[in-house]
Amino acid sequence: MSTQKGVKNSRARKRTSCGNVTYQIKEKPSYSGRISKHGRSNPEAYEHAKDALQEALKFFEKGPIRTSRIKNKSMEKHLKIMEKVAWIDGLAPEEIDVLLNVALSGKFGNAVNTRIFKCLIPATVISGDSVVKAVSWLCVGKCSGTIKVLFLRWLVAMFDFINEKDQVNLLYGFFFALLQDDALCPYACHLLYLLTKKENVKPFRVRKLLDLQTKMGTQCHLQALLSLYKFFVPTLISVSLPIRRKIYFKNSGNLWQAALIAVRQRNTEPSPLSLKLPLGSAKVRSLKRKWNSDSIIPMPNSSSYDKECGKKEISLSDLLSNSGSFPVEQLHNLPQLLENIHCLELPSQMGSILNNSLLLHYINCIRDESVLLRFYHWLSQLLQEECLWYKVNNYEWKKQFTSLLDSVIKAQCFLQEGFYSCETFLYKSLPLWDGLCCRSQFLQLVSWIPFSNFSELKPLVFDHLASLFFTSTIYFKCSLLQCLRELLQNWLLQLSMDIHMKPMLSSPLKTTLGESMKSVSKLIHYVSWLSTNGLRLENNSIFLLHFILDFYEKVCDICINYNLPLVVLVSPGVFYPALFSLDSSILNQLCYIMHRYRKNLTAAKKNELVKKAKSQFNFSNKIYREFNHYLTAMIGCLWTSKSFQKCFYHDIIDLDARLLEEAGITEYRSSLNLVHHPALFSYAVSFLLQEWPEARTIKLSAIRGKKWNWYLDYLFSEGLQGLKIFLRHSIHHSASDE
Amino acid sequence: MSVLRPLDKLPQLNTATILLVSTEEAILQQLADKMLREDCSSQLLVHLATSLPLPSNVTRPQIDLIVFVVSLHSKHSLQNVQESLCHVDARFFLGRVCFLATGAGQESHCSVHHHTILKLACTYQSPLLFTDLKTEGFLVAMAQRLVRMLQICAGHTPGVSALSLLSLQSSEIPSLEDL
Repeated sequence: MSTQKGVKNSRARKRTSCGNVTYQIKEKPSYSGRISKHGRSNPEAYEHAKDALQEALKFFEKGPIRTSRIKNKSMEKHLKIMEKVAWIDGLAPEEIDVLLNVALSGKFGNAVNTRIFKCLIPATVISGDSVVKAVSWLCVGKCSGTIKVLFLRWLVAMFDFINEKDQVNLLYGFFFALLQDDALCPYACHLLYLLTKKENVKPFRVRKLLDLQTKMGTQCHLQALLSLYKFFVPTLISVSLPIRRKIYFKNSGNLWQAALIAVRQRNTEPSPLSLKLPLGSAKVRSLKRKWNSDSIIPMPNSSSYDKECGKKEISLSDLLSNSGSFPVEQLHNLPQLLENIHCLELPSQMGSILNNSLLLHYINCIRDESVLLRFYHWLSQLLQEECLWYKVNNYEWKKQFTSLLDSVIKAQCFLQEGFYSCETFLYKSLPLWDGLCCRSQFLQLVSWIPFSNFSELKPLVFDHLASLFFTSTIYFKCSLLQCLRELLQNWLLQLSMDIHMKPMLSSPLKTTLGESMKSVSKLIHYVSWLSTNGLRLENNSIFLLHFILDFYEKVCDICINYNLPLVVLVSPGVFYPALFSLDSSILNQLCYIMHRYRKNLTAAKKNELVKKAKSQFNFSNKIYREFNHYLTAMIGCLWTSKSFQKCFYHDIIDLDARLLEEAGITEYRSSLNLVHHPALFSYAVSFLLQEWPEARTIKLSAIRGKKWNWYLDYLFSEGLQGLKIFLRHSIHHSASDE
Repeated sequence: MSVLRPLDKLPQLNTATILLVSTEEAILQQLADKMLREDCSSQLLVHLATSLPLPSNVTRPQIDLIVFVVSLHSKHSLQNVQESLCHVDARFFLGRVCFLATGAGQESHCSVHHHTILKLACTYQSPLLFTDLKTEGFLVAMAQRLVRMLQICAGHTPGVSALSLLSLQSSEIPSLEDL
């Protein structure tokens, strides 16, 4: 009795606070049609409907009455009442229990049963017991095939809302047997995909699945289940399956789609049970801010905790069945997590881990892959079905969508790894993306794409980005370059971790180091291709050049910073525009990069790693020759010592010296040195003005000999540190070479 | 002359001309308005047409870029574009033609498959852009991109020609055998 009361009370509270929700939902065009159809016209009538619902339930429980005329009328009335209540507030667990029994017991015809199923929308959760009872009805065999299909689809759609999933998992064998039925097979597969734990994977099940596959051909759903099995127990399955994971299941829950969104929103409302999580990003939710905050992401709550709160007193059997598990709601800080890590009960809705850093810590260190899989599945479904970017015409919807993406990105940063659901989402939406909508979120998602073969990724991601790059504004170009820089960094970090783990653990990437390096160097070449052409399109914009050089600052230090055997030089299309740029900070940055290249190349020569695998990584003399070429060009350009004069113009600009002399340009040899270089020209002038304020005329050529050294000190004091380091090292070396 | 040829007239100083072709006139008008509102150093001329060939008795400036707008929600608009394409000189396809597919977002409303339009763009070796012109934000973004492309096609961006832009984007265009 006390249970009933507790639940009723909580339902009453839900109803009173619900008024706003229905009102706000109406503003969303995507499902306004369906909601308003059932919308409450006036509150009194609605109160009446609530009482009538109990009557309706009684009516359905009793079963059909023989007199047909009255039956039809009252049945229609009861059905309508039920639909109305279900669509607005959802049904309580007991009500669902009753209706499931009715629908599956075969008391009524198919049409009625279908209608009942369609309005089986939970107010909060569905109890595991109801599911178990419902399955037992299936065994009696009183319901038709279509109802069975509908039941499975309903289970899949509502999976997130089912409490006590362990109980449902006990029926694994039963659901597996349903695979035999051709009509039920796809849905059963989907359900099993959600339900499978490692201990469910048995050799006889694998055999059965393989048999089915040979019988029915390669079916998407069977493959999904097989690949899941293979993921859990790779030794059991020897058949080859597609490596790249994709979305196997089409949206099967669309019958309840609109309702589910409403339920999710309802469940995220503030309730006295849900406590703030100090470490997590859980925000104080007020009704006013509900739409701004991430209302799609559920709050964590576990099944047992709900039960306890409803009952007040805990019976012995409950204690036993809980087997000492620790509900998430009570988890407030890290020491608690460490104490209870062995018996933590995960929330029934996986999405809630996204906003809870303690749970993120937890899933990061446990070995149970099924947890991650459940989470990925939830995220894929969400991104695939509910949050397509092109629905973003509605302002509120857009806000909600961006905040969801932001939370996902935050979780990715926290775990330092990309989710594969996001990857698939990108593959699907990048071809349609216009480069403007949610730009920063999209680009951040791109930067978290896990390391994989560049050639495979190119048609999926990079080709689309290139096309956008060439037709978009300079701001997009800069943002993209920044995002690619982060991508490179993430890849490098992942690879450098991998290379150190190797002795202990075989690489999950299944590629050799050589192949990985090839992939990274392809990414760098791709960016240099973008940069070269971007500079052409933007007329050598200094702004763009900054972002390009930022990227190369990462590239030049791969050897030393990440301990990976790779040096890719800056491309000529970037080097020369930077060298001849009008901006001193660009020149400074280039000097710094060239200095780092020198360090890395010398380190690479010494490095054992390179020596060992010299043949494989092809650290040929070519790269050293190219670097020396750049170096002589730079020194010849900036320093103008006699030995470099000749080679400078002949190597970079193939111009006959006689032509220049005929044109009256006599001083061309020194016209790009530290004094005359357009980027440093103003420094030279202000240096002269500072040193000799009284001078009537300014003669730049006066800076030589001792003054040259003073001038250098002046430049360095003005903050050109890159230039300083570069000159200190290069000039010293070249002087000793002579 | 019923066939539209590129470079058959002398270009006007600092002027770039775009021709938008589609059955969806209301959308074209909006797109044109948004393009003209873009901040752009060249003078923009936007011509609208429901189909080709254009009437021959009117004098019009040299056309730098033709954009065929296909609404994925109507088979008629695709058919119209296919028929109009016969009246375009082959040299236009050296970077001066672009396809715009609108309404890709609402998959349930699509009566023209993505694959079909992709194949069309492949056959004519021209870039294909997806968007949803019924949404204000996307309309502005697309107008921006089209203006940039137009400036290149009109030769107002030094060092880049229509053909070079096409070749930069062509890595994205899959070959017909792939489809």
